[in-house]
Amino acid sequence: MASILNTAAEAGCFKTLLAAVAAAGLSEALDGPGPFTVFAPVDDAFAALPAGTVQTLVDNPPQLARILKYHVLAGAYPQAQLVSQSDWPSLEGAPIPIRRSEPFEVKNATVINADIVCDNGVVHVIDRVILPG
Amino acid sequence: MIPPSTHKYADVIHRLEAGGSMLPDTPENLEQIIGIYKAYAVPMDFYWRDLLYIAERVFLNPLPAFKYFISKQYMDLANSYSGDNSKLRIWRGGEKAHPELVAFMKRGETISMPKILHHLWHDRINMEFAEACMQAMFWHQDMGGRFNDYLESKAYLANADRAIKAYFKGNPLMLLLYKLFPEMFIEQVRQLSYYSNLGLFWEVMAPVFFEMSDLYDEGGINSVPEAMDFLVNGIFAVAGRPIYHHVYMGNECIEIIPKSEGFTWLYEAALPYVEAVFYRTSPFRGTKSYNAQANQVPADQADFHYGILYADVYPVGSAGIPPTLLMQDMLHFLPAYLEATYQNHGRGDEDKLIQLGITFQRSMYNVTSAVIQALRCALLYPLTDPDLEHLLANRRFFEAQMDRFLRPEARLSDIQQQNYR
Repeated sequence: MASILNTAAEAGCFKTLLAAVAAAGLSEALDGPGPFTVFAPVDDAFAALPAGTVQTLVDNPPQLARILKYHVLAGAYPQAQLVSQSDWPSLEGAPIPIRRSEPFEVKNATVINADIVCDNGVVHVIDRVILPG
Repeated sequence: MIPPSTHKYADVIHRLEAGGSMLPDTPENLEQIIGIYKAYAVPMDFYWRDLLYIAERVFLNPLPAFKYFISKQYMDLANSYSGDNSKLRIWRGGEKAHPELVAFMKRGETISMPKILHHLWHDRINMEFAEACMQAMFWHQDMGGRFNDYLESKAYLANADRAIKAYFKGNPLMLLLYKLFPEMFIEQVRQLSYYSNLGLFWEVMAPVFFEMSDLYDEGGINSVPEAMDFLVNGIFAVAGRPIYHHVYMGNECIEIIPKSEGFTWLYEAALPYVEAVFYRTSPFRGTKSYNAQANQVPADQADFHYGILYADVYPVGSAGIPPTLLMQDMLHFLPAYLEATYQNHGRGDEDKLIQLGITFQRSMYNVTSAVIQALRCALLYPLTDPDLEHLLANRRFFEAQMDRFLRPEARLSDIQQQNYR
């Protein structure tokens, strides 16, 4: 098995996410033992944000890190476990609501590929960038 | 399709669901709101510069008589979001203070004379309005974001302590006072952090409004929803802008709130600002007075409803009242087409402040619409989502937002009519 970041790199559809993780200085932490649950937005999810949104965040690593940490839980949780609870505390601090189990929806994003098990956690691929609030 | 809403403001909700604004899409509404955005942007270009000047340079000056006498450095400060050197260029104009602002500061309404005379004659930009907005944010506090919580943290107290001791270095009297009344000094620093917060917020809004005015003049914005969408995109574009508080003593910089705390323009400035200033503020003493003992002022701060979205522009229209101070500031920078509109309605010059106050109210309903649509976009679903449950979630969100305008003071019904002037 590979780590979360290696798995994402091999998938090929997380280029923006990986660049953002590197810009925010989170690569080392996410390559650590964890375990983590990562809700990983695909490239199209970042591209759907209005112009300038990603650039402003990339220019400001602490602010970018905050948004990225909202996509991560401490602990490895598969879909079956996540749907048993309405809210999960993100590493950012704000809760991530689980809105539907079928189809599996995390906040206002739909999970398009769940339960990708990695060395240091679980990845759920989502179709939108989720934001605290 | 989901069934029609049965809310009192169902028409407005259906308009929002179709991608529109709370303000009806008419050519006159568009002309009015763009004209007033421009008139607002010029004094705002002063507000943000002076707010940062006070937060970063005047700081704890015990006699800040000259805090509105902004230094040349701050008048020439490059806006982070306009001009050729900005990382994310929103306003195509120059980087220094707007030329109309510079011209007004020289002449005012009277003649060119020394700055001190303009100040004493009150022939100047009314910074008191900006400070009233800052105080509304400072006082209401619990409006989301983490800024306020941080002001109580150990890290903040340590940074503020360092800044206070550095600022009063060599001043035994002030250091003694600090030792005797530490909380008084810390509370002043907290307020100064809100000066910085609001300054950084408005630094973004000024070029956004200038750009909208320029685009409208060129024919680039042709409807109220287009104006709203421009604002929605602007909100997203700068959402991640850091909110911080740095203090400079000579060349030394003390970071009271470092950028590394991760505070953002959207969560720690824009959303609290909209809540504190558009919705809540405080009961201004105009020609109308409030009796708190008779429960005319809510006991719960969250129920305060004295912002521009609820204001009866006429009774608060008295000298020295913060909304009137802003109206007076905007009066100096009205585009010609808005001047002509006011001359053709009401009592012309005689009630121009009231007319432009109501125009401002219309324009802020449009800004609030942009905030509502941006939140819907960020937290909920696209308006064209094929999933009915998602559309119903959007509907519940819009209805909850409109619930805030059910109280009789709300002006949402009024702005639906063009003859509300």
